[in-house]
Amino acid sequence: MDATLALMGQGFINAIYPINLLAMAAGTTIGIVIGCLPGLSAAMGVALLLPMTFSMEASTGLIMLGAIYCGAIFGGSISAILIHTPGTPASAATAIEGYQMTLKGQAGKALGTACIASFFGGLLSCISLYFFAPMLGQLAMKFGQPEYFWLSIFGLTIIAGVSSKSMVKGLMSGALGLLISTIGMDPVEGVKRFMFGQDSLYEGINVTCALIGLFSMSQVLILAEAKIKERARATKFSDKMMLSSKELRTIAPTIGRSWIIGNLIGILPGAGASIACFMGYNTARQFSKNKELFGHGSYEGVAGSEAANNAVTGGSLIPMLTLGIPGESVTAVLMGGLIIKGLTPGADLFVGETAKMTYTFFAGFVLIQFFMLGIGLLGCRAFAQIGRLSDAILIPAVTVLCFVGSFAIHKNLFDVAIMLIFGVIGYLVRKFGLNNAAIVLALILGPIGEKGLRISLMLSEYEPSFLILFSTPICWLLIIMCVIGIASPVFMDRMNAKAKKAEKDALAAEAKVQDITE
Amino acid sequence: MKKTDIGVCAVFYAVCAFFMYEALHLPEEAQIYPMCIIAALFALTSLQVFNMVKAAKREGVTSGLEDFKEFVPSQFFALLYMIIAYLALMYCVGFYISSLIFVAATLLFLKVKLWQIIIVELALLLLVYFAFTMFLGVQLPEGILFA
Repeated sequence: MDATLALMGQGFINAIYPINLLAMAAGTTIGIVIGCLPGLSAAMGVALLLPMTFSMEASTGLIMLGAIYCGAIFGGSISAILIHTPGTPASAATAIEGYQMTLKGQAGKALGTACIASFFGGLLSCISLYFFAPMLGQLAMKFGQPEYFWLSIFGLTIIAGVSSKSMVKGLMSGALGLLISTIGMDPVEGVKRFMFGQDSLYEGINVTCALIGLFSMSQVLILAEAKIKERARATKFSDKMMLSSKELRTIAPTIGRSWIIGNLIGILPGAGASIACFMGYNTARQFSKNKELFGHGSYEGVAGSEAANNAVTGGSLIPMLTLGIPGESVTAVLMGGLIIKGLTPGADLFVGETAKMTYTFFAGFVLIQFFMLGIGLLGCRAFAQIGRLSDAILIPAVTVLCFVGSFAIHKNLFDVAIMLIFGVIGYLVRKFGLNNAAIVLALILGPIGEKGLRISLMLSEYEPSFLILFSTPICWLLIIMCVIGIASPVFMDRMNAKAKKAEKDALAAEAKVQDITE
Repeated sequence: MKKTDIGVCAVFYAVCAFFMYEALHLPEEAQIYPMCIIAALFALTSLQVFNMVKAAKREGVTSGLEDFKEFVPSQFFALLYMIIAYLALMYCVGFYISSLIFVAATLLFLKVKLWQIIIVELALLLLVYFAFTMFLGVQLPEGILFA
């Protein structure tokens, strides 16, 4: 316990080094800009800027990526409130009440509420990060190779969870990713596999190139396919952004509830901020004393949605850091960043020198929330203008950054070509209802699972040798989790449908009441 | 069921066949793991075909082209070719010259105003120069013509 407290304290001291503070400020600003640009996602932003962190220390790099993640989730609310277009799917529910407030001339108040709720949602999510992550990390210490095999299988079953519409298509995408992960040198036999005469593929497909291609380049192609439209002009606002103490007291319980919802959804693999925002919004309406304001510009609705989607950030890091299971696309990209730094998610992150890095990142994650609040409140007006940037400008700008980013990894154009190929694959995958996050998860987890399986079978003293895979209680626990992993999307779908139905019913009921009173 | 899903399944079967053909050239021990994945992919694709047939009976068949209703082929392919040409150009003349040409060509093609083109060019290239060349020390491609 004392050791953990010492690590936590040391983490805060390390996190306030000027380079880390600079990374927080830069990352948060970049994240907010990406978030408020409709069409660009948090995963895309993190993938695109991943190569920028290569020369940084691991903790600084992770802090910067975490800041982009948090900034982007908050940034989506700016365009949702001012132009009724959510910058990211995580702000879809914010647009409902936020834009109504803008129409009533309360855009400043809506943005202020979004800022404050995002800050508290994100800050409170750090509590669970500090509390649960080391606990799960302790569990991961008991893992051997058979457990790692099942862990990767569990991660792959999550693929079904992150797949958008069809579970089978999600699993197909995952299997395709696994097949692609076999390209390169066989780790046990030492023979060349599927290298097609290219020595550059000796170490396999570079995960960063694949990430940039699947998330960023594919987004360029998505933007390129449709006619370029002029974005709506952001509403100019002059009202105060700060809430009164009475208003703060009103949204406090809403933020508390949304924190719990968002955190739990973040920890659950397969669910994400886009589900959390609707659930936070619906719960805010259920418990509100001013239900009649919902649908007409309720700041409690904005707070419910924004606190929930930002509470997802800390929660979603827990399974990724402790078990190496990224539950959604952004955490998959973050995990890619971790692996590139030579760090293996799991128990190793919580022991020895690496633990210092982990706790510096945790402390950084707490401080990022303060940067988000400050930059958000001060820069909302400027970000609103950036949000109008045309797709015509984004297409070449993002392309150039994709090229530079993928070139910077090994300083060769072969990686750029690989990134481009994955960009086209990512585009087709998205157009045909497959899942690029599943491909990425499989690319990351494939080598871990293969190593776990083949080493387990080699070391097995059982007859037949595969019985080693069922030899410990943790193996059985992971097998049960795999089954739950397959079943969870069905549960999530129902939860999502329920939340949307409740929202529809409430709006219909409000409309009825209004008709009667008129 | 969407007709386009038939094409998706066909591509997946082709991927299975191609990787299986390649895997057969590997030593026996090295074949096992990739073959297991190929078998899993084949089984999942067949399950998808089964689901598609069921859906076709239940809900009928749609073209699937509704997902492409905003698709502008001339714009998409022109931009895709420009991106591929950008890679080739970068190999020949290096990063900065190729980027200058690519960004200008793309923005002109998308009918962006001249003053905006100049600002975007300047902002983007200065950002890359300071962030990657100066800050990260990345030696960007010089091109075979200038190397």
